[in-house]
Amino acid sequence: MSSCGALAAAVVSLLVLAASHALAGDPLSLFGGRLRLGGEVSGTIAPEDEGFFNYNDYETSTLRLFRIDLIAEAQLLPSVSLLFDGRMDNLAEPRVYALYLRVRPWQGRDFDLQAGRVPPVFGSFARRRYALDNPLPSLPLAYQYLTTIREDALPGNAEQLVAQRGRGWLVRYPIGNTTAGPGRPLVNAERWDAGIQARVGVRPFSLALAVTQGTLSHPELEDENGGKQVSARLAWTPVPAFVAGFSAASGDFVADSARAALPEDGGTGEYRQQALGLDLEWSAGHLILRGEAVLSRWRLPAIDATRIEAPLGALGLFAEARYKLRPGLYVASRVERLTMAELASSFGPRSWDAPVTRVELGGGWSPARHVLLKTSWQHNWRDGGRVRENDLVAAQVLLWY
Amino acid sequence: MVLSLALAALGLASAVVAEGAAAVQEPRAASGTIHGRVEVRRAPVGSERPAVAELGMPGPREAVDRRRSVVYLETAPQPAFETPSPGRAVLDQRNETFVPPLLAVTVGSTVEFPNSDRVYHNVFSLSKPRRFDLGRYPRGQSRSVVFDRPGVVRVFCEIHSHMSAYILVFAHRFFAVTDAEGRYRLETVPPGSYTLALWNDGAVRARRELRVEANGAVELDLVVE
Repeated sequence: MSSCGALAAAVVSLLVLAASHALAGDPLSLFGGRLRLGGEVSGTIAPEDEGFFNYNDYETSTLRLFRIDLIAEAQLLPSVSLLFDGRMDNLAEPRVYALYLRVRPWQGRDFDLQAGRVPPVFGSFARRRYALDNPLPSLPLAYQYLTTIREDALPGNAEQLVAQRGRGWLVRYPIGNTTAGPGRPLVNAERWDAGIQARVGVRPFSLALAVTQGTLSHPELEDENGGKQVSARLAWTPVPAFVAGFSAASGDFVADSARAALPEDGGTGEYRQQALGLDLEWSAGHLILRGEAVLSRWRLPAIDATRIEAPLGALGLFAEARYKLRPGLYVASRVERLTMAELASSFGPRSWDAPVTRVELGGGWSPARHVLLKTSWQHNWRDGGRVRENDLVAAQVLLWY
Repeated sequence: MVLSLALAALGLASAVVAEGAAAVQEPRAASGTIHGRVEVRRAPVGSERPAVAELGMPGPREAVDRRRSVVYLETAPQPAFETPSPGRAVLDQRNETFVPPLLAVTVGSTVEFPNSDRVYHNVFSLSKPRRFDLGRYPRGQSRSVVFDRPGVVRVFCEIHSHMSAYILVFAHRFFAVTDAEGRYRLETVPPGSYTLALWNDGAVRARRELRVEANGAVELDLVVE
């Protein structure tokens, strides 16, 4: 058996063990509670997404996905924990989604350090992306939709970039990696970055800072360009009903492999992804309202005419509501818009990638605490690409423990 | 464990007239008592999911006391069913814990769920005897639920998955929650033969047959392994 096979078998065994325990009502706890296991198993089905509106950069549709997720926390010392999240998509090779140390240096103080492959501090959705915390089967556009930006492949001019509008799931550029591949979302909720982070809480504020290897669009385990990303989020909770988060991030985006392929005069600049975020949540009774705005811009090398002089901006907005009709039953909706800045090219002024709008309506039902069934109808509009509009109906079964 | 839980629920729901006690309507003066001590030896089960997506450690919380048990008569005399005595109880939400983690009430009782924390809670249950969802409400507010069917109701918080509690709803009054030392006492039990059940942490852990004489006292210690 290969190491991957052995790992997969171990993961599945632990999942079965943990799931059987969870059916009794509690997570699996070993070694006197010092090792705790949990996880999710989810299956999502939907018709073929011919417009690739829901694909992630693993080239998988998030609406046609069987995911096994195992999470673990080992309490090494009273103030030190090791956390792990391993997942397997469509029974492919398992991968490590999170693996990090969490340290609380001073007991009694709301201050923590985390190091390793850590949860992102930017925004809100990426930390609630587990299927249990997401009222709908899909992910918001800002956290999943593949734009035509790549860190390892670069357009030589504005025309080459604009020619790819609406084709983010399979982009090809002449500089760097010339193999066609997926573009990157504004913020990638499908993988976490590696680095260190610190969080301090002084009621009603909480501030989190992180220094990591990759960027929001392309979180990495290993550094690809020698640069680091600095990101932060300040959360303000004046009352329990309301949370506002203000985020910012800046990090080197273009990979060394692409930079090395640039002409001599094109590879000396700072090619960064910079982003600002605002997330809001208000809840009371059986209603939760959430909204996020992510403003991102990438600076790419300006090589040939028509040169890409200005940073490429994109704005992702979404508003989400969930209302519980009765115990275990809710309805939910998300409305989204992803827009890109205009870029001058010989085609005339037009956005560098095709804007997308999405409306999704759905609901969920829990026949038992550890089971959640979700369904939704989604409509997408895009101002470019081969498929400009589509409807998708999705269903998701989720077992969590 | 699931089966045990189901059996426990069945036991509570079908508490029936005890053999030999059906026609007995003894005055209180002639009734007996059952008392004893429950020793819980099994290791407590952790109830907290790993918090991988959090940016820090959760605050310190009191450990849930899972040694508390409920001792009750699986079979009860007829008068107990004819004179239900619904009461009121409180299940507080304090420091992200339900306090107490185990309640036992009679059918028709009202349980208050005050929120004593600075954060929101969302108490709910999907248990068959009583499904409810109280929604989110802040500190200082409370919601109440009437439990009108016997059975085991497991209560959770939607926001904090580590919070859980049990409410056992009985169709009669012959039950007792053990105290901090594990002691229990069932008073004014009419003379007769009974099955005494011990419920702990989600399941019936022991059953004992016993007979109560007029003005008698039965001492019975129980162990949960």
